[in-house]
Amino acid sequence: MQKEQLHRLNCYVENKPGVLARIVGLISGRGYNIQTLNVGPTEDGTVSRMKIDILGTGKVVEQIILQLRNQVNVIEVTSRRK
Amino acid sequence: MNLKETRTGAQALVDSLAKAGVEVLFGYPGGQALDIFNCLPDAKFRFVLGRHEQGCVHMADGYARATGKPGVCLVTSGPGATNTVTGLATANIDSVPLIVITGQVPMALIGTDAFQEADTTGVTRAVSKHNFLVQSADEIPEIVAQAFYIATHGKPGPVVIDIPKNCQQALTAAQYPERVSLRAYHPESSATTAQINRLAKMINAAERPVIYAGGGVVTSGAAKDVASLAHKAQIPVATTLMGLGGFDEHDPLSLRMAGMHGTPAANWAMNEADLIVALGVRFSDRVTGKISQYAPEARIAHVDCDPASIGKNVPVELGIVADVKDVLTTVGSRVKAAKHEKWLAKIDGWKKSHPVTWQAIHPNVIMPQAVMEAVDKATEGRAVVVTDVGQHQMWAAQHFRYSIPRHFLTSGGMGTMGFGIPAAIGAAFGRPDHKTVAICGDGGAQMTFEELVVAVEHKLPVTFVVINNGCLGMVRQWQELFYGKNYSGSILTVKGRPKNEHLDQDLDYDYLPDFVKMAEAHGAEAYRVIDPAKLDSTIRKAVRSNKTTLVEVIVEPRANVYPMIPAGRPVSAMVFK
Ligand SMILES: Cc1ncc(C[n+]2csc(CCOP(=O)(O)OP(=O)(O)O)c2C)c(N)n1
Ligand SMILES: [Mg+2]
Repeated sequence: MQKEQLHRLNCYVENKPGVLARIVGLISGRGYNIQTLNVGPTEDGTVSRMKIDILGTGKVVEQIILQLRNQVNVIEVTSRRK
Repeated sequence: MNLKETRTGAQALVDSLAKAGVEVLFGYPGGQALDIFNCLPDAKFRFVLGRHEQGCVHMADGYARATGKPGVCLVTSGPGATNTVTGLATANIDSVPLIVITGQVPMALIGTDAFQEADTTGVTRAVSKHNFLVQSADEIPEIVAQAFYIATHGKPGPVVIDIPKNCQQALTAAQYPERVSLRAYHPESSATTAQINRLAKMINAAERPVIYAGGGVVTSGAAKDVASLAHKAQIPVATTLMGLGGFDEHDPLSLRMAGMHGTPAANWAMNEADLIVALGVRFSDRVTGKISQYAPEARIAHVDCDPASIGKNVPVELGIVADVKDVLTTVGSRVKAAKHEKWLAKIDGWKKSHPVTWQAIHPNVIMPQAVMEAVDKATEGRAVVVTDVGQHQMWAAQHFRYSIPRHFLTSGGMGTMGFGIPAAIGAAFGRPDHKTVAICGDGGAQMTFEELVVAVEHKLPVTFVVINNGCLGMVRQWQELFYGKNYSGSILTVKGRPKNEHLDQDLDYDYLPDFVKMAEAHGAEAYRVIDPAKLDSTIRKAVRSNKTTLVEVIVEPRANVYPMIPAGRPVSAMVFK
């Protein structure tokens, strides 16, 4: 078993209604708890940045990132361990 | 704004659907969709009125699975929209391209608990690939174009477009775009030369290779390419449930279906393989069994269009995110011809010692497996076979021999009872060149029976076969094997019903409904078979009729689906009876 660790995901998403709900739903629907969530504009007003902290094993977080990248409104996702 | 070029949002929607190439729209009306329905009589495409919104979505789904083109469905707000949820989830998990359009209350009323208001984008988010809430009539053509693009590119899936009534009524001059550009969604990906070379090297080095082919082979149209690779390097091929038809089961290299109810040869071959070439599969738990003991000796190469499915359930040595067909056409020339004589001889031994077969339990009672063989024979192996969910679904997977892609349509991932009847109707609209046969259980047939009238009205020569075992057989089987024969909630006859249901044992019927009378009441030609000697002739008569037919076959209620690897167990736990 891999150890659970805190990961910070940086998501750049299109600034459209429903995108936040979709991303949060994708994570919470799998039973993962979001520790911190911070959404704000970027210099490009049509793009928002979401900072999401979640606790999970590396494998789980990797799967979540791949699923996030599959979303139609997600431009980019990066992550680092906190 | 040039007034001549303006039209209502509803008209813009209908025009956009025609531009997107829609041939058939399945749907059911209601208040918040009436502006759209108002435009349908003049539309370039045909409209099919279902009888329940779940049925409409499954019809669109069957049409899409049978043709490869997206299926399209239109319903009203509130209950109309919530009735689509099961159909959406069914299509979503099996990667079927659908467009589901829902009416919505006017924007000014959203959030007020208006009559027939439901948060449709909220409700459908987790069961669709994507969804849109239209905010103005001007967006409609662009959103329709985007929805078709999203539904059919990358891993296909259902897309919901929720359109408030005021947007349907407002005027717009917006035109259908020439091309779609999505800022963030660029799913196309192809293999690198290095990946192709590594895949060829793995194949060339293998002594006991197996190709494990899934629904992605069918979706990407790669069946011929799988066959060429298999033949050139003499690699046996196992398919998943969704991959049936992706490789000819008459081919000596076919291992037929793998997994929980797969053939011993397919499961043992994967278990002993030194290489598994996994094409368009997702390593479902129904195939892998106990994951830590899956294919213990194999190197695994996995090709799939979905980056998230690679390495998700099983670690792989080589993962390639690309279209299966593209990969196979490029790797083909780099793969050396091989014979694998010892390996194939071993597999042949398994096929001979453990053939796909069955035995009668009582000489005067029809075995359900015999029904599958009778239908396969009567349709000369060329029917589009659509199933419902349960034991009959697994018997249909095991006892037909599939050879044509898109000729076995089933709810694999969701296992949705009620799928069979409407999906067969949708398939028949899409493939009028082929006979469509639905194989249903007595339980599942009752879930969407109302759709039968659609087949009759449109004179679709579909044959619906109801495998009547008087029980929810698959549940009954699990209770027999794993719950100490405690048949709670799974018996449909009066006889044998557990006490807690408080049924009067003196009722003058044992089992309802009478499927023959039901079918006749819906306008279909109907037959009942009880006698094994009459099975072949009745099935033949029904499938050769040019009318909508239903055959109720009374079968042995004690029949179970074997072989079986119990859930979560390794291949060694396979049981044969
Ligand atoms: C909508 C839905 N509800 C419940 C189930 C659980 N389930 C799986 S198979 C099955 C029994 C199906 O009975 P029937 O249609 O008679 O087919 P049989 O197994 O007898 O061939 C049930 C209840 C399901 N798959 N789908
Ligand atoms: Mg049954």
